[in-house]
Order: sequence, then structure tokens, then C-alpha cells
Amino acid sequence: MSASREGAMAPAAGHSLAISDVVKTYVMGSTEVNALRGVSLNIGRNEYVAIMGPSGSGKSTLMNVIGCLDTPTSGTYLLEGQSVSELSDDELADIRNRQIGFVFQTFNLLPRANVLHNVELPLVYAGVPRAERRKRAEEAIARVGLGDRAHHKPNELSGGQRQRVAIARALVGNPSIILADEPTGNLDSKTGEEIMQMFDDLHAAGQTIILVTHEDNIAAHARRTIRLKDGLIESDVTTGVQVRAGHGAPGG
Amino acid sequence: MRLGLDAAESARISLSAIMANKGRGALTALGIIIGIVAVITTMTAANGLANTFRESFSAVGTDVVYVSRMPWVMVNDFFLYRNRPRIDLEESEQLSVNLRGRAIVNPTINMNRPVKYRSNTVESAEIIGTTERQVMVSSVVPRDGRFLMPFDVQYRRFVCIIGDEIRDRLFGDTNPLDREIYIGRNVFRVIGVMPKQGGSAFGGPNFDLQVFVPVTTFEKLFGGRTAGRDVNIAVKAPTQEALADLEFEVIGEMRKIRKLRPAEKDNFSINKLDTLVDAYNNVMGVVLLVGLAVTGISLFVGGVGVMNIMFVSVTERTREIGIRKAIGARRRSILMQFIFEAGVICLFGGLVGILLAWLLTLLIDATLMPASISPGIILLALLISILVGVIAGIVPAYKGARQDPIEALRYE
Ligand SMILES: Nc1ncnc2c1ncn2[C@@H]1O[C@H](COP(=O)(O)OP(=O)(O)OP(=O)(O)O)[C@@H](O)[C@H]1O
Ligand SMILES: [Mg+2]
Repeated sequence: MSASREGAMAPAAGHSLAISDVVKTYVMGSTEVNALRGVSLNIGRNEYVAIMGPSGSGKSTLMNVIGCLDTPTSGTYLLEGQSVSELSDDELADIRNRQIGFVFQTFNLLPRANVLHNVELPLVYAGVPRAERRKRAEEAIARVGLGDRAHHKPNELSGGQRQRVAIARALVGNPSIILADEPTGNLDSKTGEEIMQMFDDLHAAGQTIILVTHEDNIAAHARRTIRLKDGLIESDVTTGVQVRAGHGAPGG
Repeated sequence: MRLGLDAAESARISLSAIMANKGRGALTALGIIIGIVAVITTMTAANGLANTFRESFSAVGTDVVYVSRMPWVMVNDFFLYRNRPRIDLEESEQLSVNLRGRAIVNPTINMNRPVKYRSNTVESAEIIGTTERQVMVSSVVPRDGRFLMPFDVQYRRFVCIIGDEIRDRLFGDTNPLDREIYIGRNVFRVIGVMPKQGGSAFGGPNFDLQVFVPVTTFEKLFGGRTAGRDVNIAVKAPTQEALADLEFEVIGEMRKIRKLRPAEKDNFSINKLDTLVDAYNNVMGVVLLVGLAVTGISLFVGGVGVMNIMFVSVTERTREIGIRKAIGARRRSILMQFIFEAGVICLFGGLVGILLAWLLTLLIDATLMPASISPGIILLALLISILVGVIAGIVPAYKGARQDPIEALRYE
């Protein structure tokens, strides 16, 4: 087992993402909330990262910044070598569309749309022609084992199945990173374990995965665990052998 | 390409959103429905009025002025006109002489009398005393037989030319020529039958109920000026362009004939098609004004209703907006989605409105006047309803499109 602090590392090429000195401050009336107080972090391709930490420590905020749903108050963020800290709304939307796949705790599927339509939605916004869209969506649905449910509505599915649909939707656009904020938070432990199996498979197939969790047994699926506390990285522990060189030499 | 995909997705979303809230959509569309019914009915009524008017007054002629005691359209109080001296045949003859070579002058007198043939009666025939010059003024000639000749007038003969409806009601399939009919208590021989012309809307004459007799015979039997009936003098200009000049000449000649001093006002009226056209335009103006006001108000109210519902829709679907934005929807896609939805609601209203207006038009056609909806008006109605939807949808859609994705996702 090895561990390292990455706080001072400069963003480097070849990383999937490189965050440096990111601060996120929410202003609420006269008070300011420092959700992130200077986070630096490099994550390479095909990493499998768990972000942990107490409630309110800034995990979701960090995920939102990584996922380009939010922009940092200060600091830089390079995603696949491109600076994304000062892009417009629509440019961020395009980045989310092409490079990020989200999996949410509450699934966030469109209730009136069937599985197929939900899964092909990112491709709709990417401008993929209908036939290709359909084909890729069906492939993604098959990959999460829901081939026979393509025409069901979300409310006709179990929680675990809904989360699979969400994973298929996250996959379908071939994103650089899959982000999952407490993906098993609304599932029982057995179903949660099945979902984690799915993430493991995706990781094995070469996907970069970052997930937020409170549970150690979920985090244990990841190869690297980052702990946040009060908006700062408290620890960054890499386990396993699949971590590439260049983002934190083993030490301690 | 991208736009096309957006449109297809927008259509899919908005239809499913509307289907999920059918009752609400239908209620919202009510204002639009009323507006569209109003706009179509207004246009159809205006069209119908225009056609009826043209039909009714085509015989008046665009190159004719009429000298009468009363104006066709009263501008002032009736009492100002009623002390005017009546126009008689001598004045008409005098005018004809004075204008010789410059215009055709034809006097007419009319009244309503029943006409009878054997056991058949038409109660409300319009008996017109006229001369052979009638056909030069109105250019309508008999379908069968002949019109009056100078000798009919000169010798006060008891001959008549009847309108098509009179012929039909008195004679049916019998040939009316040379038959004798009663006009009041007098017997006239039918020498001609006029073609079918229609008319009778706008208080205009029904040409098919007319009976022409020599004006001299008319005067002898029923009295001209003395019996309280006015002579109308038609003066036809050689060309339409000459009409304006002719009008002044007619006024001058009439004043001379009546020996009016310069300070005295005309004690006769000059009437022409323009007088009717003006009156008609006034009627039309009111119809259009009322119609467009109703249209405007209901479309405005309908539009505000749609805008309101769209705000509700955007708020209800905040989370959906968050999801869409999270997976890469741009502002424009969200904007289009909701504008599309508003447009579809209004288009639905427009279609229902067109259907109702069509039924209403059938009713108008069956009761009031000939009316039909033209394809152009349907197209216009569709365009208007879509436009109202788009305009009503813009602000709510914009509100949805600029939502922050994180806040939208967090929305309960
Ligand atoms: N939109 C916001 N406005 C104001 N403050 C916010 C906002 N979002 C987050 N915060 C604050 O920022 C801090 C970090 O929040 P964040 O959601 O990142 O925590 P978290 O680690 O994900 O917690 P949890 O485990 O409960 O999900 C908290 O103090 C939170 O109150
Ligand atoms: Mg959180």
C-alpha cells in the first residue's frame, strides 16, 4: 500500500485532468462558504478514483467542477489538455456532452422517456444522426444488461436497473471520464455491489472513473482514494497496481 | 443537421409534455381558439360583404351619375331634404337636351305594385318607368324578346319587360312573351324577359323582381311628380374618366333648369357608385375594426395564458432542464424545446379554431350571405397561431434555458 500527497503538483500533459489550486466560494448574502479552498489534483487515464470525506467537505463541489457543471472561483482546470475554467455556458455544455458521463445518486432519468430515449439523449445533443444514435444507444443498453428493457419507462424499472440506464447514458457518448456522485447511495447493498461490479468492468475496459462515496466497501473498488476535509485534500492514497506513473510517486 | 435533430427532439419532448397535461393545454388554447375563430370569421365576413356588394351594385355603373331629390346616403338630417321640389320628366327632358352629345340621359320612376298573371301573383314587384335609353345606361339587355323602343315611350304603350324571378313565379315553364299581365289594375303585354341577375343584399335592389314599363305610361297611370313619386335621372358619361367633369356639368345644368341663384344651395342630389362605395367602406371599416379588436384581444389574452402555462411548465420541469444540461444540452436546445411546446399548444388552438370557424362559416353561408373560407385565410390563421405561441413561449423558454444546471438538478 502506498500513499502520497499531490497538493503541489503542477498540471502535466498526458493526464486526463489536472486541477491546480482550485478554490470555490459560494457567496450567500453577506456570508461566504469556502466549499473548496485550494485543491490540486491530477488524474490520469483509466484511473479509478474514490473521493471520500465528511458531509460538507466539498466532494460534490469538486465533482461539479470536474464535470464542468460548475466553474471554479479561482485556480486552473485542464481537461484533456484543454483549459475549461473560463468557458461559456454553451462551451461547457459541449464539453459535458463529449467528455463527461454523469451518474447521479438519484438516477436523474427523464421520467416520460423510455430507456432507449434516455440513453440516446446525449447523442441527440451531440448531433449524431438518428440511425447511428439508435445503434449506439442499443449497444450501451446491452452492455449494462438491459437489452430487454429498452422500451420501458424509468418508473417500470427497479432502482438498480435505473442506475444501469444512467450508466448506459453516461457511456454512450464515449466520454473521457465517468463521474458518479454517490451512485449507490439510493440502493440496497446487494444492488449497490452489482452497480460497482459494472464500474469495475468499465474500468477494466479502459474507462476513467471518479466516484464519490461514504462507504469504505464501495471505495475499496477504486484503486485510489482521495479524502477531503473542509475543502482541502486530506489524503490521497493509491492502492493496487494499475496506477500509471506520473501522478504521485508511491511513498510515505 | 444539428438544428434538424434539435427540432425533432423538441417535437418529441413537447408532444409528450402536452399529452401529459391535455386538459391544461386545451384550456390554455381557448383564448387562441377564440382569436382564430374571430380572425377567420372577420375575414370571411369582409369577403362575403365585398362580394355581395359588388353583385348588388354592379348595375349602378361606374360611369353614371344619378340626379335625385334625395341623396342615397343621408349625410344631414332628413328634414333638410324633404322640402326640396320633386324632379319631373320635363326637367329630365330639359337636361337631356342641354347635355345632348355629351351624355345619355334616362329618367326613371319606380314604385312597388303586385303583378298578376291568371292566378299567380308577385306582391312585391318593383315597377320601373323608364325609356329605351335604359339599356344604354345599365347595359343589361333582355334575354328573350326586346326592350322598350322610342315608340313605346312616345305612344305610352302598355308593354313591359319582366325580371327573371317575376317570369318564374308568374309563368313557370310557359313562354311569357305576348302574354298579358296585371300591374295593379292595368293590363300590360310582356315584350321581353331580363336575364337572371340576383342582388338584393345591402338594401340594394333585387333585379330579378323588376318590371320595366314606358315612363310615359307610368306617369299617365300612376302619376309622376303629382302623385308624390320622384323621378331619378341617370346621366351616363361617355367614359369613366369623363364622369368627374360630367358631374359638375350636370350640377350646372340642373341649377340653370331650376333657375337657382348663386347663393342658393342645390335643391337636388347627385348620387353615384362612389357614394355607395363610401357607405360600404364605412360598414366594412366597422366590421374589420370590431373583428380585429376581438381577434387582437383574444389572441393577447390567449398569448398571456400560454405564457403563464409555459412558466408553470418550465418550473415543473426544472429538474428535467438540469438533467438535459448536465448531459450536454445547450441553451438553444432548451429554448427551442419550450418555444416548440408553446407553438404546438397554439397550433392546436389554431386548428380547433379553424374547425369552429369553418362550421360558423357554413352557418353564415346558410343564413346571412354567401361565405367561404379561402385557403389563404387558413394559412394566415395557422401562421398567426404559431406566431402567438412563439412569442408567448420566448420569455418562459429563456428563463428555462438560462438555468444553472446544478441548481436545476437540485430542484425538488
Ligand atoms: N449552491 C451552494 N450555495 C451555497 N453553499 C453551497 C452550495 N453548494 C454547496 N455549498 C456548501 O459548500 C460546502 C460543500 O458542499 P458539498 O455539496 O460539496 O459537500 P459534500 O462533501 O458533497 O457533502 P455531502 O456528503 O453531504 O454530499 C457545504 O458547506 C455546502 O453547504
Ligand atoms: Mg455531496
